[in-house]
Amino acid sequence: MLLFRGPHWDRGLGGEELQQVMDNVMAWFEGLNQRGKIKASQPLAPQGRIISGTNGRFVLDGPFAESKEAVGGYLLLRADDFSEAVEIARSMPALRYGVTVEVRPVLAQCPIFERHPDIVRRAREPVDRVMEPLAEIAA
Amino acid sequence: MSTTTIKSDYLLLFRGNVWDRGLSPAQLQKVVSDWMAWFERLKAEGKCAGGHPLEEEGKVVSGKQGRTVVDGPFAESKEAIGGYFYLTVADENEAIEIAQQCPGLEYGAVVEVRPVADICSVKQRAEEYSPRQMVEATA
Repeated sequence: MLLFRGPHWDRGLGGEELQQVMDNVMAWFEGLNQRGKIKASQPLAPQGRIISGTNGRFVLDGPFAESKEAVGGYLLLRADDFSEAVEIARSMPALRYGVTVEVRPVLAQCPIFERHPDIVRRAREPVDRVMEPLAEIAA
Repeated sequence: MSTTTIKSDYLLLFRGNVWDRGLSPAQLQKVVSDWMAWFERLKAEGKCAGGHPLEEEGKVVSGKQGRTVVDGPFAESKEAIGGYFYLTVADENEAIEIAQQCPGLEYGAVVEVRPVADICSVKQRAEEYSPRQMVEATA
């Protein structure tokens, strides 16, 4: 998964230059799409909420709109391997204007859960039992 | 008579990838099984289209032509994104309510709720900035 960080990289760019970069970015997406490399990709609205605390009692506006760390969108890649994903990230046309691309392998199993395999195995049992009658209905 | 409900899409980004440190086996057992049951329930209710944990270590690409490629995010970070759910729900309130059910919250996990946008905010600004050029480009 590619996470695009720093959604305000267009600040200070003139209209023509901005238009040119956006055309390049759109062409980049289109090229990846035609090569079948994109599973899913969407921009995120700048403002959301940050939930924390027991029972999610803290609900704050966020992320901080001007943040260079804020995630502006994502791209779920269908890459052959991790180095292809990094190469694709490196070809992103807005990098020169300050965008950062975080490249993260997607996993089948949560790493936190993986640190505790016995607990996960025990926790899965009730779910499996619940799923059995559903499978029978479907059959 | 049928009623049409407009659904909107949200991304839940789970932040913090070491909140399991220091939990007792019983606490871990509970949070792991609660989390899996939560995910299964949301999928069964049609509110969650999918989700993935992310591998803790990836690469962060930046600079002109992606010349800077460093390991990241930091393995032990409260800010690092550990995974995501893709929600299709009625409105922001429902997305927030679901985020508040995250079983990791009481141990320090943070959930960022972000509306999925139809159009990239930079592209939108580019269009507002130079409507004439956009018309020419699409003509």
